[in-house]
Amino acid sequence: MTDRRATRYRSPTYVAARTAVAFLALAAVGTGCTAGSEQTANATTTQPRAAASGTVGTDTLVARSGVGAGKITIPGAEPEDGQWVRPAKDYASTRFSGLDQITTANAAQLKLAWSFSTGVLRGQEAAPLVVGSTMYVVTPYPNFLYALDLTKPGAPAKWKYEPQPLAAAQGVACCDVVNRGAAFADGKVFYNTLDNQTVAVDATTGKEVWRTQLGDINHGETITMAPLVVKSKVLVGNSGGELGIRGWLTALDAKTGKVAWRAYHTGPDSLVLIGARFKPFYKSDQGKDLGVSSWPPDKWKQGGAGAWGWISYDAALNLIYYGTANPGPWNAEQRPGDNKWSSTTFARDPDTGEAVWAYQVTPHDLHDYDGINESILLDLPWKGQTRRVMVRPERDGYVYVQDRTSGEVLAADTFGVVNSTLGIDLQTGRPTVNKEKEPQMGKVVRQICPASPGTKDWQPSAFSPRTGLLYIPHQNLCMDAESIEANYIAGTPYVGMNVKMYAGPGGHRGEFDAWDPIARKKVWSVKENFPVWSGALVTAGDVVFYGTMDGWFRALDARSGQLLWQSKLGSGIIGQPITYRGPDGKQYVAILAGVGGWSGAIVAAGIDARDSSAALGFANAMRDLPNATTKGGTLYVFGLP
Amino acid sequence: MTWAGSIFDTAGPPAERIARLAWFLIIVSAVTYLLVLVATGMAMRRARARRARGELADARPETGKRLTRNVAIAAIATTLLLLVFVTATALTNKAIAWPLNAQQPLTIEVTGNQWWWQFRYRDSVPSNWLTTSNELHIPVGRPVRVILLSNDVIHSFWIPELHGKQDVIPGHRNTTWIQADRPGAWKARCAEFCGLQHAKMAFDVVAESPAQFDRWYESQLASAQPPTDSSAKHGHDVFMQRTCIMCHAISGTEAGSSVGPELTHIASRPSIAAGTLPNTRENLGRWILNPQLIKPGVRMPPNALPPAEMNALLDYLETLK
Amino acid sequence: MSVVSVTRLWGRAAAVAALTLGLACKREERRFNASYPSPPAYAAVTLDTLQPGVPSPEITVNSPSEGNAYDIAQGKQLFAQWNCSGCHSHGGGGMGPPLMDNEWIYGSSPENIVATIVEGRPNGMPSFRNRIANNQLWQLAAYVRSMSGLQAKAPSPGRNDEMQYKVDEQRTPIRTPRASSSRNVPAKSERP
Repeated sequence: MTDRRATRYRSPTYVAARTAVAFLALAAVGTGCTAGSEQTANATTTQPRAAASGTVGTDTLVARSGVGAGKITIPGAEPEDGQWVRPAKDYASTRFSGLDQITTANAAQLKLAWSFSTGVLRGQEAAPLVVGSTMYVVTPYPNFLYALDLTKPGAPAKWKYEPQPLAAAQGVACCDVVNRGAAFADGKVFYNTLDNQTVAVDATTGKEVWRTQLGDINHGETITMAPLVVKSKVLVGNSGGELGIRGWLTALDAKTGKVAWRAYHTGPDSLVLIGARFKPFYKSDQGKDLGVSSWPPDKWKQGGAGAWGWISYDAALNLIYYGTANPGPWNAEQRPGDNKWSSTTFARDPDTGEAVWAYQVTPHDLHDYDGINESILLDLPWKGQTRRVMVRPERDGYVYVQDRTSGEVLAADTFGVVNSTLGIDLQTGRPTVNKEKEPQMGKVVRQICPASPGTKDWQPSAFSPRTGLLYIPHQNLCMDAESIEANYIAGTPYVGMNVKMYAGPGGHRGEFDAWDPIARKKVWSVKENFPVWSGALVTAGDVVFYGTMDGWFRALDARSGQLLWQSKLGSGIIGQPITYRGPDGKQYVAILAGVGGWSGAIVAAGIDARDSSAALGFANAMRDLPNATTKGGTLYVFGLP
Repeated sequence: MTWAGSIFDTAGPPAERIARLAWFLIIVSAVTYLLVLVATGMAMRRARARRARGELADARPETGKRLTRNVAIAAIATTLLLLVFVTATALTNKAIAWPLNAQQPLTIEVTGNQWWWQFRYRDSVPSNWLTTSNELHIPVGRPVRVILLSNDVIHSFWIPELHGKQDVIPGHRNTTWIQADRPGAWKARCAEFCGLQHAKMAFDVVAESPAQFDRWYESQLASAQPPTDSSAKHGHDVFMQRTCIMCHAISGTEAGSSVGPELTHIASRPSIAAGTLPNTRENLGRWILNPQLIKPGVRMPPNALPPAEMNALLDYLETLK
Repeated sequence: MSVVSVTRLWGRAAAVAALTLGLACKREERRFNASYPSPPAYAAVTLDTLQPGVPSPEITVNSPSEGNAYDIAQGKQLFAQWNCSGCHSHGGGGMGPPLMDNEWIYGSSPENIVATIVEGRPNGMPSFRNRIANNQLWQLAAYVRSMSGLQAKAPSPGRNDEMQYKVDEQRTPIRTPRASSSRNVPAKSERP
């Protein structure tokens, strides 16, 4: 009797304990998925050395002694000129600056040098450019271009160029009316307007040299990407995978603005510019007219696969590298097949546009995993030899190390929580899809990780040849999703998915990681409350910069991840930090603050998060952002006193 | 083409087994019924005779062994009969289950909508997937796997000549199979009440030789040809700039919505409005002008097009062979 | 059971039956072939509340779809099928502004909403002129109003067919439109 009572009395505790144990086990499994076994193995050595106010915590995962550092070289690296002429800094897209006045020792003394209001209160994703003694700043729609005179105190504007894009273009911009920046070449500043025009502006006078209409908003097209100028060709791609566009990359003559070539990303080989030189590495990427046969009849014409991200260029191989966006609609049941060439990495000849190889990262995409992320070109030691590779921290949660001459995937390792795929088969190059996480019509599939914005979205990483590390700003989000019938009506959204996103395991929504591409693991990781939607910058002073969506601009020690300095800016930061040498010979760091983008639309577009499917489901994960920041659009420049 | 399908007019293996079962159940039930009638008649005659003999005055309920025996016989007979029925049904069910050894089945996704049907033919090559509406063609002699989906409410897929009913449930995939052993053309209907126009939610079924089927498939797979004569060209513009484009798809054009039936080859179909009207120019015109007069509550709105536009539109639709 | 109580029971049953019949008589009519106001009727709708001096009397159009459960339900289906939800989500907004709040850039009355759909608006709202039939325009407008509680509770949709991304329109609290007349806002009794 006593025993029974005792048992009865204890049983709730017992149950609770068992539940707790089960939960812990689950959590452990969850963490195991996140960053490979290293993280769990090194859990004891985790040392949040300087969990800065605001950051959730820094985990130093592996003691770092500069192994590998110096061994990795950047192809085509040029001596540091103190300028910043394209958003990615160099053709290899490293966002590494050789300037070293700001160091880990003095970064704490950084002070605001001057600031400049862009007059536009939408998401500021652009990288400012510095050419000589002028800084160029592009704003979101209405896409103003400012030239700021760095020789004068406070850098007053020299001129302002207004391309006056169609206001209606705002209605077909899927994820805020952002612009990711301009490119400078041959005395001209090139950039794209939301309504599909590429403009060339005289860098000195601010006068328009040419403008070329490349797309049509009535068919859902917009352009948000920053162009890349390679060998007198301006390379531009379109956006609109959520609006049934047909994706392309177009090369314009930098002098005249005439279209030199256009490569579509769906359709017959002749239009994709696939010809005799095309040698894809993997079997599933080989075959004739796959851009037609891997789609239901005619659906390739609305198949999405734009190119709104980053392009890299290897001068020695004379190849450009870029990725294509998600296929449309999101509802994958409406587009059986591999849906080529969506979510694909292309290597093309910049002179002719011919494809040299292609690798479809995500065949038959199920979760809006665009493949547009940056390709960082490196020459690195790999199993005893030096391989010419590109490193891509992808939306699907893997860091791909890929031979950039052939497209062969050398390694693909997760850098976040991934359960939508179970790994990448290096024999076939294809991901192993987790059937349990496949969205279906009329069924809500829960806990899909990563969510639609992926483990990492557009926000570009940086690589330092000094530390040998890749600095990856990214997010930690999972989602519930349900496919619904999408109806193609030109110029309106073509999505077909209800999505609800939320923080992934751990509860933090963002992370800033240092990744060793040779050891294939995280070296340190900073957890952030909000997604880290800003780009990264790393300097020869071994300082790495990024911003947070609640407005903190941070400088970390590139080797340890230790917080060196931070400043709270007027609005959330989703821009790309840059650094330059001013006319006074001093090093400065510049960043645009102004929350928005897909993640920040809840503030920039005033979204009502009572509807958790708002902003394609992102609003649900960001309901507390309006309490943390407000709209903005200001350029901040910091320097040493 | 018959309007009322019959399950006894079988055209395929499952339907045949079902018809056989039906005949078996009907005959056994009929015989049993007759036996019961005869037994009752005899009992009544006996009772009348006993009453005539005046034995009924002390009529008491039967008791004892005899009663037990009679009840037991009746119960056992009934149980046996039911067992036979259940066994027969189970055997039939087993016989009409998906033929696992079937070679190369054709797979068709059937989607029920209020109030029309969409058919999507699967193929190993995605660009050969075919979408049609309200008209189902199948090759004779080849098993067809049917995957049933619904976009709104519960419907039921029923081709009486080919198989029994199978419910079409939103958020759930039901599977059934059909096979036609002889060529034929039948009308199939929704067999589960699904709203206002449930009664007018039919589709045409055509079973034809594999060669004819392949020809049909090829022709349906082709995109619509751009119109050549000026009136049809005008009609094309009417389609693209008026209400039509919001709901209907025509492959090869900008129209890509699937709210309503896909119309790429509308002119080749025997009927319109989900098997409601014969496909004539006059009917099509009446239907477009005001479908609510024909199928009240149907989701297609009235379209008060000026006569010139209507004529041009009809000219265009007639080119969609 | 006494005779009195049996009578009372019958009386109650009769009352219930009468009530049921009475309610059934008020069953909403489904008008499949009714005529709905066409474009010229709402072209004259005033959008601005600022008028020089004494304001002119309001020109209003009576929407047949207001308070009509069938029309609102049709509007809800069309809202998703025609990709309105692609931009406005299920009221929370995204590419387009939210529709479940109290900010109405181009007016909250049914005729304003119909005008917005037909004419389009300069900052990204497409014009659907000639593309949407009259009855469907009013059905859409009626549903859009239900998203912020501007329909009586009874005819508002009581559930979502898909993922539970928000509470249904019946339970969405009224957001009285800012900077606009109180016309067309349901009375308290209509949304208990």
